[in-house]
Amino acid sequence: MTTAPAKTRRGNAMLEMAMWVPLLVLLLVGMSELARITYVYYTLQKTMYTIARYVGTQQGVNFCSDSDTIVAAAKNFAIGGSTDSTNTPILANLTADMVQVRIERYSTDTQDLGQCDCSITGCDLGSGGRSPDFIVVSIPDGYTVRPGIPYLTTDPILFKPRIRVPFGGS
Amino acid sequence: MDIRNQSNRLAATRRGKDARRSLRGSMSIQILIILVPVFFGFMGFAVDLGRLYLVRGELKAAADSMALAAAQKLIGTDASVVDASALARVTVNNATGFGNRYDFGGLDIGITNGNLNSDVPDPTYYSTAVDALGASSSEASGATAKYARVTITADAPLTFWSFLSLGQTRKTSIAAQSVAGVSAPLCTACGIEPIAIAALDATDTVDFGFTVQNRYTLGYQCAGPPTPGVLGSSVSRIQYLLLDRLDADATLFPDESSQLYRIGAQGLPPNPTAAKACVSVNAAELVWATAVPLNCNLNRPPNGASNFLCGLASRFDAATVPTACANVVDADTIIGAEIADTDLNDLDDYTTYAGNGRRIITIPIVDALSGTGTMTVLGFRQFLVEPNPNDVTLNPSDVNARFAALYIGSVVPVRQGQFSGCQITNGPGKVVLHQ
Repeated sequence: MTTAPAKTRRGNAMLEMAMWVPLLVLLLVGMSELARITYVYYTLQKTMYTIARYVGTQQGVNFCSDSDTIVAAAKNFAIGGSTDSTNTPILANLTADMVQVRIERYSTDTQDLGQCDCSITGCDLGSGGRSPDFIVVSIPDGYTVRPGIPYLTTDPILFKPRIRVPFGGS
Repeated sequence: MDIRNQSNRLAATRRGKDARRSLRGSMSIQILIILVPVFFGFMGFAVDLGRLYLVRGELKAAADSMALAAAQKLIGTDASVVDASALARVTVNNATGFGNRYDFGGLDIGITNGNLNSDVPDPTYYSTAVDALGASSSEASGATAKYARVTITADAPLTFWSFLSLGQTRKTSIAAQSVAGVSAPLCTACGIEPIAIAALDATDTVDFGFTVQNRYTLGYQCAGPPTPGVLGSSVSRIQYLLLDRLDADATLFPDESSQLYRIGAQGLPPNPTAAKACVSVNAAELVWATAVPLNCNLNRPPNGASNFLCGLASRFDAATVPTACANVVDADTIIGAEIADTDLNDLDDYTTYAGNGRRIITIPIVDALSGTGTMTVLGFRQFLVEPNPNDVTLNPSDVNARFAALYIGSVVPVRQGQFSGCQITNGPGKVVLHQ
């Protein structure tokens, strides 16, 4: 009669623990997943910045050509650490095709900033145009990250990092 | 010891155990209550701190962009700091949806989002790198500014730490600094104007014997009498020669006259091959083959020189090709890419110049001009091309290919170049990040 309450209490503790453990695990996994997602975004942002600064300090970059070797080298360098595309990307599934370099022209007269078109009056180096004033490196369609929490289906998160830097090359 | 006593003691022990157990229960609740803030603190370290570092990284990238944009515009004129501040703000302008932002790219920099403030003051400008890096109180005016310092502050939202007393405002302010400015003197300058002038005094490493703010008449070299005169109030006539940068493999505007016109209009066109787009200190250069100097009494410059001068004229008027330049192939197409300078005034004081920099030329200074042998490049210096007296443009059909130019030293950053390969202490640099 005197031992019964102790047993119940032990049972309670077991039950309580059974309730708490999944929550704790969820909390821990959630924490590390949040950290991973933050890390992924930071890496993406750094990748964008690396591409922008690499391209922005070169000369003779033809932004209007899809096959420009300098732009391709910059993307490969930032994504995989090598200017050719043989290296595995730092972030899984991040490919050079996903990254877009947008060229912009700033008019000192009208103080307008707009996309620079690919023509001789714009920024097409291939037909004699002048270099752009700014470049924006972005992932227009986004990079998908899926938080991996066991026994839960999570919605994918779409990251669209971008960076605008002045074009310092020529 | 009787049984009763023993049973009493047993009961007492049991009571003590019970008491301890209930005490243990209350302890765990207490510990739990104490642990909750600690727990939030740790969660904050995992989630909030990571986010703060992310925000700082994003702000740093934005500050770098701003500083680089500002430093590009520091050309040594009074108006330069205004232009620099305006261009710096363009980087965080999100009107078209492409500006730099922070907090997972979700918040605009420089404006208030809800309770999150972000402040972007105008960059501060300094004349030395030491002042700029130390955020010294001695800020420079536009005429002497060479370095731009940008400080961005923005509030980052807190999640777990906002439950703690220290994070009651649910945000924390993050700051990022960046300093950009001119680099060390360049040994290889790209995109410059490949016309060489001889140093007046090769031992003067600062200005090669030229005087800042002096107006010179640059005329194409010619041999024999009569010596061509100077334009307007120029101090003296300085002879120049075109350095050979003929691109035989060019597929775009391959004609030689087009190439010369284009170089006159915008400097050496960008090219991934440095030998075609750049000039290096200590390099031996030859004169452009179709611009070998003629005798002065012929009263005409070589064809190459007049094509170059036609291009130079487009910096004043980028709408029409002068009739004297009708022989340049594709001139009316090439001119479409150009914009005219926004300040066409005849200036005696460079610091009052308020244009977009189109009239500024960076040219190699050589040991001595030679129409037949090689010339050695000593360095690069800059001039502001002036319109002819009582005009708003220069005369592309001048019989001696003359134009007036104000010597400005080496105040304007060159867009592209390299440092390696020479030992010089003066000359134009390019814009780099210093912090």
